[in-house]
Formats: sequence, C-alpha cells, structure tokens
Amino acid sequence: MILSGWETVFFWVFSIAAIFAGLLTVMARNTIHSALFLISSLVSIAALFILLHAEFIAGVQILVYVGGVMVLFLSVIMLVNVGSEERGSEEIFNRPRQVTTSVIFCALLIAGLIYAVNEGYRGFEKRDVDKIQMAAAARQNREQALDQSATGASRMTSDTQSLGGSLYRYGSLPFEIASVLLLVAIVGSVMLARTLKQEAAVDDVDPDVLQKEVALDPELAEVQSEPTA
Amino acid sequence: MLLFQEVTSGRLATAWEKAQHPDLSKFLIIGALLFIIGVAGVLTRRNIIVIFMSIELILNAANLNFIAMSRYLQDTGNVNAIAGQIFAVFVIVVAAAEAAIGLGIVIALYRNKETIWVDEIDILKW
Repeated sequence: MILSGWETVFFWVFSIAAIFAGLLTVMARNTIHSALFLISSLVSIAALFILLHAEFIAGVQILVYVGGVMVLFLSVIMLVNVGSEERGSEEIFNRPRQVTTSVIFCALLIAGLIYAVNEGYRGFEKRDVDKIQMAAAARQNREQALDQSATGASRMTSDTQSLGGSLYRYGSLPFEIASVLLLVAIVGSVMLARTLKQEAAVDDVDPDVLQKEVALDPELAEVQSEPTA
Repeated sequence: MLLFQEVTSGRLATAWEKAQHPDLSKFLIIGALLFIIGVAGVLTRRNIIVIFMSIELILNAANLNFIAMSRYLQDTGNVNAIAGQIFAVFVIVVAAAEAAIGLGIVIALYRNKETIWVDEIDILKW
C-alpha cells in the first residue's frame, strides 16, 4: 500500500487537518466549538478511509458519527449550562501540576509509539517485499476487470460487497450481539435521563425514598396519585 | 551551497522521498498522534462532555489503525484482511452505544449535582 501522485497530496492535507482539528477539540474553550472541531476531524478521518479503499466505512463514519453521535453531543451541550466556561470565569484544564504530568506522559508515549511503528514497519517491509509485488500485480488485474463508473473517471469498487459478504458470513453472531447492545443502550439512556417526577409517575421509586422526597416537594405526591395513562 | 547539497542528498532527501509516497507506517503514526491527543484530552480537561469527545477521538484513532492494517494485509494477499474493516464497524457500533449511555449519565448527573466539572463530582469520595 504505497500512495503516489494526488493521493499523496490528499493524504497530507486530510491527515494534518485531522490532527489540527483534534488538537483544537481538546483546547477550545467553548464546548460547541469543541464539538464542531471534532466533526471536522471525523470527516477528515473518513477521507483517509476513502484513500485506504474502505468506502463503506467512510460512509458509515459520516452517517453514524457526524449524523448521529455528534448531534446527540450538541443537544446535550444545549441541555447543560456551560456559560461560566465560555465567559472565561472557569478554568478549562485541571490544575497545572496534573496538566504538566499528563503532557509529559503523552510526550513519552508519542516518542515510544513513533519509534515502535518505524522499527516495526521496517521489519514488515523486509519480510513482505516479494508478497507485496506479487499481490500488487494480482490486484491490478482484478481492478482492470471491474466495471467502469458512469463518468469513466474511475472504476466501481467491490469493497462494500466483500465487506458485507464477510460481515454476514464470519461475523453474524457478533452482529446480532451488537444489535442487542444498541437496544440495551437505548433503553439504558432513556432510564438514566428520567427525572424523579417521571419515575414517580410510573411507580418506579423505592417507597421509603419517595416518602422523603414528597416531604421536600409536595408536587411529587400529586404526580403519583394520578392514574398512569 | 555545499550545505544545501549535503542536506538534499542526506537524510532530509530520503525523508522527502518517503513523504511523497506515504505507506502503512504514515497511517499508523497519524493514528498514534490522534490517540495521544485523545488521551491528553481525557487527562487534562475538566469538562465531562469534552472528555467524552476525546474518547470518541481515541476510538477513531483505533479505527484508522484497523483500516490501514486491513489495507496492508489485502496488499500482501491475506484472505482474511477484510476482518479489519468488520472490526471497525463494531468499533463504531460500540462508540455509538457508549455515547448514548455516557450522555444519559451526564444529564442525570447534571440534574442532581448541577455541574459538569469532573473535579466537583466527588460523591464517591470517602
């Protein structure tokens, strides 16, 4: 997998964009700005996925992350009060000593990781040099056999087809488990986000706790006495 | 001029040559950088929502590594190389579930404690 020509340009543009947007996500004072920078970082990473010939994952990334998760984040930011942070009266980072320690830790980690990746990749290259050449020729033959796209500028890929085939052939059990996980997540987040009043309305509060709370807030008793629709 | 020649023919020239043809290691380094940025965000920020966003960044760095390795293995003719992309799909699923639950917890916490600063959330502290 060696990129060349325009692919190189796009690689550097999108990777630098992803890293800068990631940095700004962590450093922005306004939480909404953080969320928007995270969106641009995710879109840049989706572009890198397209460079890696994983078009389906890139589409899923944009649909699920940008269209789903980040909208959820933005609406939660609107529900909680972050005004003091934006006005600058609150410190956005932890105490200086904690920040210094974690930055030193991260610098050591990054030095170690870059060294390990470079060393490891050199070993990979040496081991796979024949295989890569053979597989590149085979791949080129396969790509020549693919259908032309409508504009004729590129060929249709079979990536989504092979991913879907493998997903249902080898990963069907994890796939079903993932759907149960999502169901649990939906039910769990609805449960977590209820107010005490809503819990009392469906008779889901410990009677002792409810008695104490009714003493503080008489409205709760009314809610409870109402027949649930 | 001599210095220039030395630089262009030396290590800088090979670095420039390598930068023109990004390979697997470049993708892995980008993934590592994004991961570290996410870790730094989790360790340094006080806002719990930004901490969640940093976790999303970490998961995405892992995804980038999965996809890059999957592509490399496809190029070496490995028949199971597509497994990396399947893993990435599941990582996205888990990230979505995690965001839903986490933000539910944030809302419940904000209702009870009226704060989103992690250093003020110390109910479990003895």
